[in-house]
Amino acid sequence: MGSRQITEKSLAMLRSLPRLSLGNIRDNPGSRRNPKRGRGQHGGDKHGAGNKGSGQRQNYMRLGYETGNNPFYLRMPHEQYYKGHHHRRQYPPISLHEIQKLIDTNRLDISKPIDIASIVRSGLYNFFPDQKHFGIHLTDEGVDIFAAKINIEVQWVSEPVIAAIEKNGGVITTAYYDPHSLMLLKNPKSFFQSGQAIPRRMIPPPDVIEYYTSAEMRGYLADPEKISQERLRLSQKYGYQLPVLENDQNYNMLCERKDPRQIFYGLEPGWVINLRDKCILKPKDEELIQFYSS
Amino acid sequence: MNICVRTRFIRSNLVSNLCRLSTTPEIEQNEQVVLIDDTEDVQAKEAEIEQKRNKSRLTPAHYNIIHDKRPYEEPKCLAHLTVKYSRKMYGKYGVASGVNPSLCWPSKQEIQERKEFESVAFPYTIKEMMETVQKRRQEEKLKIDQREMEVAAKFAKLDQWKKELNDKINKKAAEVQSAKQKKERLVEEVRRHFGFTLDPRDARFQEMLAKREKEQKKLEKQERMQAKEKAMIAKLQQKNVEISDKSSQ
Repeated sequence: MGSRQITEKSLAMLRSLPRLSLGNIRDNPGSRRNPKRGRGQHGGDKHGAGNKGSGQRQNYMRLGYETGNNPFYLRMPHEQYYKGHHHRRQYPPISLHEIQKLIDTNRLDISKPIDIASIVRSGLYNFFPDQKHFGIHLTDEGVDIFAAKINIEVQWVSEPVIAAIEKNGGVITTAYYDPHSLMLLKNPKSFFQSGQAIPRRMIPPPDVIEYYTSAEMRGYLADPEKISQERLRLSQKYGYQLPVLENDQNYNMLCERKDPRQIFYGLEPGWVINLRDKCILKPKDEELIQFYSS
Repeated sequence: MNICVRTRFIRSNLVSNLCRLSTTPEIEQNEQVVLIDDTEDVQAKEAEIEQKRNKSRLTPAHYNIIHDKRPYEEPKCLAHLTVKYSRKMYGKYGVASGVNPSLCWPSKQEIQERKEFESVAFPYTIKEMMETVQKRRQEEKLKIDQREMEVAAKFAKLDQWKKELNDKINKKAAEVQSAKQKKERLVEEVRRHFGFTLDPRDARFQEMLAKREKEQKKLEKQERMQAKEKAMIAKLQQKNVEISDKSSQ
C-alpha cells in the first residue's frame, strides 16, 4: 500500500464529509463557562473569587476610595468655574442671517410685527421654556447682508445687530417674558384649547432689570424719548444715515409695541379665546378687569 | 388632585350668559326657512337608520371625539367634575360643550391667591429695582474713584519717598564703611606697633587693640570737648559784641 493510496483514501473520506460550517465547528477553548457553580468538599473551592478581603466577600470599595487616606480626587482644591450654571437663564440663539432666510422664504411676514411666536411658527426655531430657555438671542452673524425692514421683538441682542436692523429702517425691542408666557407663545393653540383666560406677563427679575430698562439695548421698559436719542447716537457711531420713521409708509406697523403686561399682539390679558366658535370673550366683572390691568 | 366642584355652573342658562360675557359674539344665525318634516315617526326612523349606519364599533366616547363632539355628556369620574376639565371642554368644543364660559376666569379666591403669590414672588416694583441697581452702580463708581484718587495722591509723593529711601540706604552704607575703615586703621596701627604681622586673635594684639581704642576714644572725647569750648567761646564773644554794640548805640 503506497502513499498514493493513503492520499486517495483520505481525499475520498474528506469528500464524503460535510462541508465546514458554523454549525459543525467546535467552540474556542475557554469561551464557554459552566453556568453552574461547583459544590462539595473541593468542587467549589473559592469559585473564582480569590482568598480573603473584599475580593472574596465581593464588597468592593467605591471608586476612588483609598481606605481612609485623603482620596486623590479630593486632595486638590476645586474651583467651581460653572457653579450655578444650571440655574442661569439661557437664550437659544438665532442669527440675523437665519432671520433673513426666513423672510426670503416667506416664513416670516414682515408686514406685521415679528415676535417669538411668529419665529417659532416658522418652524425653523425651537426652544424649551421648561429648560430655562428664556427666548431668542439674536446674534450678529449676517449683519452685513441683512436687508429687511422689520419690527422685531427679541429677548437678547448686541449692539451691531441693533445697528443692522435700524440701518434698514426697522425697529427692534428687547422684551422679557416669564417661562409661563413663553409656553403660551410657543404653543398658543394648546393654551387656547385649555379654555383659560390669557394671563398677564410677569415683570423681569432684578438682575436683568438694567438690561430691559436701558435705551441702548432698546429695552421694552425704557423711555421712548431716550430710545430715539440712542437710535441717533448709534447711527452716528456706526456711520449710517438713520431713516426717518415718521416718513415711512409702514409707520403704524413699525410703532406697534406690546404692553409690558401683554403676551400676544392684539390680545389683552384676561381675554378668553375660543378657537372652535372663533370668538373672543372679554371679562366684564370689575374685579377681573382691575386684576388683569394691574 | 385639585378637584373643585362647581357643577351648578355647568349648563345653566348658557346662551344668556354667553351673550352677556362676549362683546363679539360671532354666532351666526342663518335664518333660512326650510320646511322639514319632523314628525316623531320620521325622526325615530332617521335615528334608527343612523344607528344602523354606524358600523365603526367605537365606544360612544370615541365616536363623539372622532365626530368632534364632547366625549361624555354626564361626568364619568371625579376628574370630570373639576373646573379644569370643564374649561378644557369649553376650549375644545365651544358653546356646543354646554359649559358656562364664566368658568374660564379665576374665581375671587383664586384671584386673591394669585395676588398673594405675586406679592411674594415679585416683592419689588420695577421702579424700586431700577433704583437699587442705580444705587449699586453709583457705589461701585464711587469706590473706583476713591481708589484712583488715593493712588494719584500716593503717586505724587512717590519721587520724594524714593529719594528719602535712597538717602537712608546711602547713609547707612557710609556709616558702615567709616566704621570698617576705622577698625582697619586701628588694626594697622597695632600691627605697626609690634613690627610684624600678628594674629588678630592673639592676646597681646587684643590688649593693644583695646588700648588703642581707649586712646582713640579719649582723643575723640577731647576733640569733642574742644569743639564745645570753642562754640561756647564763640557764643560768648558774640554776646559781648552784641552788648558792646548795644551800649555804643
